[in-house]
Amino acid sequence: MSLQLLLIIAFGSSLVTYILGKLSQRLRDIFAVIASWALVVMVAVFYGKQVENTSYLKFLDMNLILRMDTLSWLFAITITVVGALSIIFALSYIKMKERTDFFYLMMLLVNASMLGIVLSGDLASFYIFWEIMSWSAFLLISYNRGPALAAGMKYIVMSILGSVAMLVAVLSLYGRFGTLVISELAPAMTSASSGYILFLLLLFFTSFGVKNAVLPFHTWLPDAHSEAPSPFSAVLSGILIKMGTYGFFIVIYAIVGLKIFLGLGQGILSFHYILSIVGAITIIIPSFIAVLQNDAKRLLAWSTVGQAGYIILGIAYGTSLSVTSGLFHFVNHAAFKALLFMVVGAVEYRTGGVRDLNSLGGLIKKMPVTFIGAIVGVCGLIGVPLTNGFVSKWLIYKTLILEGSPLLAFAALIGTWGTILYSYKLIHNIFLGQLPVEYKEIKDAPISMQVPMVIFSLVIVTFGVLPGVPLRIINNIISSLGFEPLNVSLWGIVSETGALNTINISVAVIIAGIIAWLIYRAGKSAVRVSQDDNYAAGAYVPVDKYSYTVDFYNPLYRIVSPFLKDYIDIFYVKLTGWTRKFCGKVRLVYTGDVGNYVMYIMSFIALLIFIQLTWSVWK
Amino acid sequence: MNIAWTVFLPIIAFLIGIFFLGLSRKIMARIQWRYGPPITQPIIDIIRAFSQRSVSHGILFNLGIALSVAGSVAVVLFLPFGKVCPLSSSGGLLVILYLMLLSPLGFALSGGEAANPNISIGISRKFILALGYEVPMLLILLSLMTYHKTISIVKIVEAQQNTGWSIVTLPLVLSGIAYLLILPAILGVRPFEIAGASQEISSGPMAEYGGQYLAIADVEHALSLFIGIALFVNLFLGGAGDIFAPVENFLASSGLSCMVTFLEGLVFFVKMLAVFVICVFINAVYPRLRIEQAIGYLWRWPTIFAFAGLVIVLIVGR
Repeated sequence: MSLQLLLIIAFGSSLVTYILGKLSQRLRDIFAVIASWALVVMVAVFYGKQVENTSYLKFLDMNLILRMDTLSWLFAITITVVGALSIIFALSYIKMKERTDFFYLMMLLVNASMLGIVLSGDLASFYIFWEIMSWSAFLLISYNRGPALAAGMKYIVMSILGSVAMLVAVLSLYGRFGTLVISELAPAMTSASSGYILFLLLLFFTSFGVKNAVLPFHTWLPDAHSEAPSPFSAVLSGILIKMGTYGFFIVIYAIVGLKIFLGLGQGILSFHYILSIVGAITIIIPSFIAVLQNDAKRLLAWSTVGQAGYIILGIAYGTSLSVTSGLFHFVNHAAFKALLFMVVGAVEYRTGGVRDLNSLGGLIKKMPVTFIGAIVGVCGLIGVPLTNGFVSKWLIYKTLILEGSPLLAFAALIGTWGTILYSYKLIHNIFLGQLPVEYKEIKDAPISMQVPMVIFSLVIVTFGVLPGVPLRIINNIISSLGFEPLNVSLWGIVSETGALNTINISVAVIIAGIIAWLIYRAGKSAVRVSQDDNYAAGAYVPVDKYSYTVDFYNPLYRIVSPFLKDYIDIFYVKLTGWTRKFCGKVRLVYTGDVGNYVMYIMSFIALLIFIQLTWSVWK
Repeated sequence: MNIAWTVFLPIIAFLIGIFFLGLSRKIMARIQWRYGPPITQPIIDIIRAFSQRSVSHGILFNLGIALSVAGSVAVVLFLPFGKVCPLSSSGGLLVILYLMLLSPLGFALSGGEAANPNISIGISRKFILALGYEVPMLLILLSLMTYHKTISIVKIVEAQQNTGWSIVTLPLVLSGIAYLLILPAILGVRPFEIAGASQEISSGPMAEYGGQYLAIADVEHALSLFIGIALFVNLFLGGAGDIFAPVENFLASSGLSCMVTFLEGLVFFVKMLAVFVICVFINAVYPRLRIEQAIGYLWRWPTIFAFAGLVIVLIVGR
């Protein structure tokens, strides 16, 4: 099977789904699910295979090329799995909404274009697929209309700026080297001056930074994630923004190369170190802004910005441990963040669109499966041992400490503590505490929502207890990029300077837990009481009058909120205001009335004739 | 041998922790001119609580508390006690840092399901306080790991046998002082008894526990007291140390190597006792702070000291 066929099926199925939707809704749903899972199977077949450059189209004397290696395989399988699961999740979520055919068309189109990005072997096709992805994402973000339109506009304006930067870089590469094929660019780069490489990296950094929501290009993300429909939020946060990560990878390690990348600049002023610092800042500030949010999806969106910082930090730091961690965290983040968006989506679906953390509560008794998804996802996000997030974060901490960058390590660690705070807030305010009266009759999420959540939860725990499974694939990738591979076993990492054995940790915690449980069972069996039967030291606990979830971290909020304004967003909003004012002034001249333009032309010609007649400038 | 220690170590940790709890009540009583309860009172309380009736608020209410004990037991297995550390080669200090999180998380999940306003307030305070002391604590741990160039706690303890205690090693003095300053906050004693303030929010996260729940919560309390102090002793007071080197050599040569382990444990215990008594004195004289005041304190002097310590390590240590 060839890669062309894969892409033809991916793009074709989106169109077919749209057409089928006009015939029958049921047929369309079945076809969309089958098509998306067929892609998963087809990508899985490519495991361990290298597909060399194959030209699929000629365009202006350029060969457009597809290829597949381990790196693109890892990204492709993540894209297809998250995509397929989000399609299943969408089945009941989107049922009652309008324009469902359009929604499926766009979902499948986004997935297909992302697949195109990771399979393209030259920067021209990379750019084409990139644009398809950007635009279809825009249509999905503004799917709900209303405030979603503004969010989509914010996204697409920043996205276009990024695309323009990329286009400049791509054109300059073509002008200088006469080729855009990635494997041919890599040897050519050795002759380039470091100034030119820096120029290229900055342009690509702008483009990928916007997609990956690196500070200061993150401002579109909180709006877009919270306004998009939840199945797409899962895709958006899980994989779409990681296309920026893939871009960083391709540019930094496949085109520029490790040696040149690490050699740009000296000491603290080197490019990779500055990029690491940018990653570290991207971890800290958004993680603490997330603590202050009251909208569940907005909280998760800020958390996505923070977690993307870990990935950037890992990739930019440039040791084999850190790059492994960056790649592993990409896979992990795709799993737990997609899961969490689905959890919030399920709650939103059952409560009728409520995602305000101050008005929910106590849903654990009504939505147990959703709660299990939430708790596993949150543990992965924090990086609690036995979940996948722990391993990837452990790797980055370790390399930062041992390579002598404790301040970067501090940023990563304190970001995790911010994560604990907002994660618990998310769990507590949705699932714990008092159940409001209006949600007494609520049911658990439908089975089509439960299935993807359960699968993601299983992935998170499996990768946490047996991290060797993905780490072996990642090991192949980093050794092909010129790093020293790690000594990976199935359950951890063997190393002189500090090993990791997840099996021992798991066994210790599980056995201790079982013993504690047995001790608990040895006591008298407890009487189950209702949520209103509470002890308050003699005081009266008012029933269903107060929500204990409101202002959960109020004392902290009072301390830190003055420091955590999103000044960058405020600046951008001001910038748009100034631009609008300026354009308003320009519009006084460009009225759009043809008569006025004719008058301008006539008076300009009259001016020219006058100048010629008086001074005879033009002989 | 390792497996035997895996069983014994949590029991030893529990006994030491529960002894400290009893001792602290006695010391507090004597400071306040009272006679005080017998030193075995916490154990009596646990046994009594087991035989009493209790209420439950749901499955997570039960599971959360089991998770919190499990987390603390796991941490104990990662902490060197003397030279004994059953899981030394499975992850080191970073894993300890993360596993220490399981126990508050377990309480938070368990208490969260109870839907008691006092519990919600208590948990929120606990997390904010933890954020408060984690800032200096992470800086301290990072300066230690950077100075010793390892992430293994066993290696840090071993290194102190050559260089002397960390707290008197020149580049680490400031970090040690900062750790002492935040130790009451880590242990949750006054002035940082904010999360479990008994007179104010009826013991916060503990409010709904009775019967065997209260007993298990007390066990966890004893274990976390042990962990908080043992971590400090290991990192800054040289662990079991080798102050008895001649004695140790003598015992080892006369074939009594199990006595060596015992002596090391004893040394470790004495160091822990000294640290704990200081904390009890602090507990006795200070009133409770408000959470904002606590954060204000924790993010000022301890953080400045810890940061300065890290900078010194970065300059001197390389």
